[in-house]
Amino acid sequence: MFRNRSMAIMVGITNYKFEITNSLDKLRAILRRDLLTAIRHRSGFVVTMVGVFTELAAFYFLSRAIGPGFRPGGIEYFPFLLVGTGVYTFFVMSTQAFLGAVQEAQQTGTLEVLMTTSTAPAELVILSSISAFAGNLVNLLVYLFAGVAVFRAAIHANVFSCLAVLFFSLAIALALGIAAATLQVAFQKGSALVWLLGSGLWFLSGTMFPIQSLPRPLEFLARALPLTYAIDGMRRALLEGQSITEMAATLAVLAGFGIILLPLALAALSLSLRRARQDGKLSFY
Amino acid sequence: MDRIVFESVRKIFRHRPALFNWLGRERGGETIALKDLSFSAQLGEISVLLGPNGSGKTTALKLLSTMLLPDAGSVRVNGFDTRRDASSVRRQVGIAVAAERSFFPRLSARENLDFFAALDEVPRPERAQRIKEVLRDTGLEEQADTLVMKFSSGMYQQLGIARALVKRPNVLLLDEPTRSLDAAAAAHFWSTIRALARQQSTVLLATHNFAEAAAVADRLLLLHRGELLADRSVGDGESAVALRSFYFRMTGEEEFVIGNL
Repeated sequence: MFRNRSMAIMVGITNYKFEITNSLDKLRAILRRDLLTAIRHRSGFVVTMVGVFTELAAFYFLSRAIGPGFRPGGIEYFPFLLVGTGVYTFFVMSTQAFLGAVQEAQQTGTLEVLMTTSTAPAELVILSSISAFAGNLVNLLVYLFAGVAVFRAAIHANVFSCLAVLFFSLAIALALGIAAATLQVAFQKGSALVWLLGSGLWFLSGTMFPIQSLPRPLEFLARALPLTYAIDGMRRALLEGQSITEMAATLAVLAGFGIILLPLALAALSLSLRRARQDGKLSFY
Repeated sequence: MDRIVFESVRKIFRHRPALFNWLGRERGGETIALKDLSFSAQLGEISVLLGPNGSGKTTALKLLSTMLLPDAGSVRVNGFDTRRDASSVRRQVGIAVAAERSFFPRLSARENLDFFAALDEVPRPERAQRIKEVLRDTGLEEQADTLVMKFSSGMYQQLGIARALVKRPNVLLLDEPTRSLDAAAAAHFWSTIRALARQQSTVLLATHNFAEAAAVADRLLLLHRGELLADRSVGDGESAVALRSFYFRMTGEEEFVIGNL
């Protein structure tokens, strides 16, 4: 009896290790595919870098035009803009990149084929979204680095707090990306979420000015958005150097959003994929 | 043992016109793709689904690959139900679809195969060798490191077959596999398929090409408007002409075709 149980545990551990190794191997394959594709779009990298510097220059001169008197929350305006627009762009561009990959896979018929591989659809979507978000995380780091190195934004970073905010923000961003993919598979309208993020949420999330400037009902709405806490948290961690203890409330809210949104998005995606297989609409776009 | 079992399978596609499309001519309705389809295929057997466009051949293959789920009845592969055990089914099945461009255009043939092999859990140490073998078997050895965006239709088709073979599936599903291949490449492909069947793979091939059916089939499953009209073995040396005449006799289309020749 004891021996059987030990053997069962051993088999369980071996299977678990096998699954982890397989998932890491798949993630490596997906990252490699996306990296090679990005590199081979020869002008893509240059255009992105030119875009980064143009945007930063615009914000730098905007903050100079407004003058040093405007210090939202006691922070200089250029670093305030730098973090706000950097985090906001990370959310929108990652969601858009992931959605774009799903749409392209539908158009070429690759999505149907991917769904017949030995990899479970949910695992495939999570691994693919990690790849899409990793690329945009690099863009965010380049953006912040350029803001500090070229445009002399003053920062007082607490690395642990930054990493904690980044971790929870990533979970929320993944959920948004998966939600967009769900809308795309179910109604061929994933772009609606990207449109909402791109047009409606930037002014509600404190990207360019503090949410306290909004009318009371809109401020209330802004406080219900995870993006608001991600931007605020990153500003406090990167610009004010607040510790994890000082930021406990913000981190708890971010964690709460991640814990609720990620499983919900995954369940919705699973349901929409099953429905698409039932209706034969997996490759509709 | 039956590797593939279709049991009273029904598949209907429902169409709803797009919202606000009152001015267009699009109307709702439904297409019955498969009507209570039942058949089975054995280990090491090559079964050919023969039928005209819209007869339900591709739908049957998609049901087996779990791309689609049946509305009624059951589809089983090696005893695993496609609805309840989809992941176990996917481990057994390799499919080469007719869609030519289901690859990543800025990756080479080898890189595409490596990507799909990883998702199909082909062990990493074996991957390079297997990819080399399937590239050779499908005649793509010289184009292995060419970006697939530069491929012709025929090369896309060869790569699709290579992708299905790289996981060494128990069940191989092929949808019009030689549609874009030249005569020599098609003949080479048919001999590869026969060799695979000898290694205990079960092959289900959908086609409307009588020469292809005659070249590879052990069994013929004649589909017409979603119904199975005939399920019979194909004798050694049975010609494409004989299959053609059988097809038109069964479907009742013979007079029409001859009348138009």
